[in-house]
Amino acid sequence: MNHLSSETFDDNARSALADVQLRGALRNATSLFGKRRLAAAASLQNWEELRSQARSIKDEVLLHLDQYLEQFVANAESRGAKFHWARNAAEANQIICKLIADRGGKKIVKSKSMTTEETHLNVALEAAGMEVVETDLGEYIIQLADETPSHIIVPAIHKTKRQISELFTSELGIPPTDDVDKLTATARATLRDRFAQADVGISGVNFGIAETGTILIVENEGNIRLTTSLPRTHIAVMGIEKVLPRFSDVDVFLKLLPRSGTGQRLTTYQSFITGVKQDEAAEGPNELHVVLLDNGRSRMLAHPITRQSLACIRCGACLNACPVYQQIGGHAYGSVYPGPIGAVITPQLVGLEKTAQLPYASSLCGACREVCPVKIDIPRLLLHLRGEITEAAVNKRRWEQLAFKLWALVMSRARVYRVSAKLGGILQRLLVRDGKIGKLNKSGWLAPPLLAWTSGRDLRPIESKTFRDKWQSELKQRD
Amino acid sequence: MLSNAREEILGSIRKHLAASGPFDAGETNDQVVQSKSHDFEIKKNTESLIELFAESLEAVDGHCVIVNNEQEVIDAVRRILVDLRATRLSPKRMAVSDADEIRYLVESMSSELDEVAKAPSATELFGFDVGLTSVQGAIAETGTLVLEADREQNRLISLVPPVHIAVLDAAKISCTLGETLDALYRDGKVSPAITFISGPSRTADIELTLAIGVHGPQELYVIVKRAC
Repeated sequence: MNHLSSETFDDNARSALADVQLRGALRNATSLFGKRRLAAAASLQNWEELRSQARSIKDEVLLHLDQYLEQFVANAESRGAKFHWARNAAEANQIICKLIADRGGKKIVKSKSMTTEETHLNVALEAAGMEVVETDLGEYIIQLADETPSHIIVPAIHKTKRQISELFTSELGIPPTDDVDKLTATARATLRDRFAQADVGISGVNFGIAETGTILIVENEGNIRLTTSLPRTHIAVMGIEKVLPRFSDVDVFLKLLPRSGTGQRLTTYQSFITGVKQDEAAEGPNELHVVLLDNGRSRMLAHPITRQSLACIRCGACLNACPVYQQIGGHAYGSVYPGPIGAVITPQLVGLEKTAQLPYASSLCGACREVCPVKIDIPRLLLHLRGEITEAAVNKRRWEQLAFKLWALVMSRARVYRVSAKLGGILQRLLVRDGKIGKLNKSGWLAPPLLAWTSGRDLRPIESKTFRDKWQSELKQRD
Repeated sequence: MLSNAREEILGSIRKHLAASGPFDAGETNDQVVQSKSHDFEIKKNTESLIELFAESLEAVDGHCVIVNNEQEVIDAVRRILVDLRATRLSPKRMAVSDADEIRYLVESMSSELDEVAKAPSATELFGFDVGLTSVQGAIAETGTLVLEADREQNRLISLVPPVHIAVLDAAKISCTLGETLDALYRDGKVSPAITFISGPSRTADIELTLAIGVHGPQELYVIVKRAC
């Protein structure tokens, strides 16, 4: 499978648009989740108040992130958790591989984690000779197919049950079936063995609570519970922005996250893990290692507009609401973070040079801002990033600077404007065919830099008689 | 060096926050909303809490049985086993947690099944059909069970067997999530592992079709015991 790159977003989007099956699946998923989200939000009378509350908690954390992180780490350490700080993806993967190798581990069960998708942990683990299996059903399917997630909440949304049945037939040797229960039971049975044999469990983290040193992970399937309670060692990978100040803050976020993501009041399971067990004989892992990942996050703190990207709780609501995502799905974005939030996070994580098309993957309609449970102003962020792209490019485009200087000169002097309009009216005759300047009219093309205007639409020519001319002649007639 | 990573990351956080200072004026909303939200009419009466809990639990595909005393708990478990025998789950082996409150069930159920074991090890547990636990709390508005691992070895028994039966004392039901969180936070500390369970394990990862019982139990029964 060729993994798509963000650099070729425009081309990726075009091929996605041609994929009829994908678009059908996306239409079903996004409209269903959109409706469920609305109903779930309406079940609370104070939805808007909760959103403001959540955002102000996130703002409070981000403005004092160093302090809350230190408090979180100190409290979790006092309960027996071990911490590892990773500046970038490579460092995080290296730390995790070493932790496993030092314990003589080889078999790893993993639960869904966007952060480990971001670091491409599985590639690193396999390169180190480890056997890693994704245990979330959707992630398991795409791991078997050697693909990447196309939705934050439903990773295999792009695959039909028939494709999944074919995959299970070839990879797991079951007879073909279109019964979803049978497919699910097959995955359960196969993964049970992997759970039973696993040396290490790797999970993500939804929230880290500073006051108690607790990590909170939410899910529906139960694979996170198995991953975090069966193996002797649990490694949790967490972005540095995932901290909440107080245990009671969980209330607000557990009301918002499931409702925004799947439209549930609560997901089936919440696991609150605080350090390790005190009693050796008790259930649960002997060791808990938390890997804290920066990977470009701390940079986003440098401006209030970019900082809000770190408030994201990865619910996926903006994907479902986005008219662009609804048509092209997640793969076109060429990043683990798709949709509107991906269009702002990916460029900030990996740099604008390689992702310059992403901030333009939006009509700025504002639907994402409307549904965001933590009120991230994504359109504003997109404009901010477009501004950065333009500023970075402006020195390279001397002609453009010159053109705008000339424009300013013309527009600020009435006389020059008048003469230029006349001159333009005459010169354009070279381009106008049948009263239009356009692409369809082969001989009427504009020169390359201006071609962008007419490649998709016709340009109306300048009127041969300007308003001033008409005004003057009207006045003369009255006289 | 990796050992510097902590200082470097914290340093980077401080540096970038400082750089943000000039832009922050007029940007951030200083008004921190601290007030606790009460989106829900808080019910205190035990009977109305039981009713709300049962309703919420059934909305997430769990089964609720309300009883008055230990004998009725035993009868309820028996009836559940009879019902299950009619399905393909057909239970033969039941694991019971180490909680004192439900010790009587190990004895009273042993004649009903091939095996009733108290707190089997994690590896043994994979061969059991039913897991029976008590719970440390419940949330009425969401039909949620609250399990605290330092009070009972219930993390795996409630998860690995395809059927989970939980015995809940009605007095332990709170109305809201917020109240439950307050109750779990004692002397600045929380239990090393707390699990919230709302219904059986589920997934909609294949074509958004709901499938019950993917990695956790397919069936969840909660026997609510009124205080006598």
